[in-house]
Amino acid sequence: MERRSAMAEQIISGRVINACQQGDRDAFRVLFETYKDKVYSIAVYSSGGDATLADDVTQQIFLKLFTAIKQFRGDSEFTTWLYRLVVNACMDERRRRRRLLPFGEVFAMKHPSEKNPQEKQYGKTEVAEAVRGAIAQLKPKFRLPILLKYIEGLSYEEIAQVMGCSKGTVASRLNRGHGQLAKRLSHLRTLVE
Amino acid sequence: MFVKHVINDISSYCHGELSAEDARLFNEHLMVCAKCRSEFEQIKLGVKLAEQLPRIQAPEKLWPELEKKLENALSRASWTTPLYFNRWQTRTAAAAVLLVISALGLWLVLNGQRLSNQRSFWQVETINGTPRIDSTGVRTKGQLAVGQWLETDGASRAQINVASIGQVQIDANTRVRLVETQPTEHRLELARGKMSARIWAPPRLFFVDTPSAVAADMGCAYTLEVDDSGASLLRVTSGWVALELKDRESMVPTGAACQTRPGVGPGTPYFEDASPEFQRALTTIDFGGNPSDQVAIDTLLKTSRARDTLTLWHLLGRVNLEERDKLYDKIASFVPPPGGVTRDGILKLDQTMLDKWRDDLEPAWWSTDNVVPKKVAEVYWQMKNGINRRVAKLK
Repeated sequence: MERRSAMAEQIISGRVINACQQGDRDAFRVLFETYKDKVYSIAVYSSGGDATLADDVTQQIFLKLFTAIKQFRGDSEFTTWLYRLVVNACMDERRRRRRLLPFGEVFAMKHPSEKNPQEKQYGKTEVAEAVRGAIAQLKPKFRLPILLKYIEGLSYEEIAQVMGCSKGTVASRLNRGHGQLAKRLSHLRTLVE
Repeated sequence: MFVKHVINDISSYCHGELSAEDARLFNEHLMVCAKCRSEFEQIKLGVKLAEQLPRIQAPEKLWPELEKKLENALSRASWTTPLYFNRWQTRTAAAAVLLVISALGLWLVLNGQRLSNQRSFWQVETINGTPRIDSTGVRTKGQLAVGQWLETDGASRAQINVASIGQVQIDANTRVRLVETQPTEHRLELARGKMSARIWAPPRLFFVDTPSAVAADMGCAYTLEVDDSGASLLRVTSGWVALELKDRESMVPTGAACQTRPGVGPGTPYFEDASPEFQRALTTIDFGGNPSDQVAIDTLLKTSRARDTLTLWHLLGRVNLEERDKLYDKIASFVPPPGGVTRDGILKLDQTMLDKWRDDLEPAWWSTDNVVPKKVAEVYWQMKNGINRRVAKLK
């Protein structure tokens, strides 16, 4: 994952970013194609699997990126700046929708456990689905570091920069996030070990 | 930092974020702290679960919709063509980058697993001769990446540093492959030859696959040999090693050995100072095609000593009821079953009773010159019982 991230970054040169800052449409397209899957994945997991909402959040993020890219001065890594936008957009969306529907509970609603989880037969897809559901139920402060680690392949240092907290806080939140995942999905132990 | 518990560092350890020294201290603390070990198992499960999260592809329709919104948002500002980056150049660059991204995406899909594994490698040092990693000779030092084979000929030997958790010596005429190395699991395949391992890590972090069983260690030292037929011999010099294949498992303590055979899996562990008659009878029981061979079992019972209850206890679950009854009597003649353990329960293979009796048998398994620290044995059985409980719960 880390290598994938590093490779994508190599492709996005300062020249493309400069072109975006000049309002070049094709350069925007390059930027979008490079980061769309990463941004969309975080949006999907943060919205609990609601594809419409994830589309919406992804578009908001890229709109914000394209309109604010002139403000990017290269003081931090471009990806740090981008993921900060992503994290803020996910948090804003959660706050906005809180009164209507708890953000991040759709996976659980889409996949109600008809029977005791221990009686259910799990394959690889079902395990991934169960993990998505459990991720959606985590508090954002535990969920986002997990997504940045496992989807984006960021280091603790990079996650700390994106989230504006210390490396120790990242370690602690990942620890608690992992602990909660394990507690909720302990019946899948034999399938992943 | 590590004088107290290491619970807060577990995720950092699993993600390789600790320094080599901190990782070593972490391992040492885990060996002696049941609380942190239990928490480690839990968080390690969380890590393994989170690793199942796939990246999701954005739908194709996103760009056209976004482009419309962008037109509106920037309607007052015309799309510009920067002086130093004209439209023709931009389009050419964009097409090239998109092509590269598509090719890269396809390549990553096809090679994703291999790629992520290739990031990790182990250091290899030559002891004698010129061992080879894949087809390249290693004169002094080299790196063994995931998926690569390390091979020695009749004149060469090598040492592998297993991440930060131990060392493995590879003898002459041996072939091994690095299968996986992650903070939560390190795995080597021994296709043929002999290796000696010294591991200082929490239980069940280092595994060796052989053609007829998997050796799982718990902070120990041992040698493992595989012959051309795929049969193997494990000899434990310190700690415990579990040999496993599907439902069959043998726990081998210090001073004991265990053979394996393709198509059968692990045999029964035995102490190497047992009499030759005892060892021959055991080979017949394990690999002769009839585990309840009466003649062999009678020989075993006649020639067994108190510490051979290691073998007899393992056999309880592998023979028929009639032979199990005889084994019960023999074991009880050395160490009577503790309170709460009944003949009926043992004959029905009640796991709780078996475990309880085994705890009482253990002191007889340690010779005076080769004592395994009680703490180490306790750690092993806690791990083992924990796994049994989880499996039983699932069933």
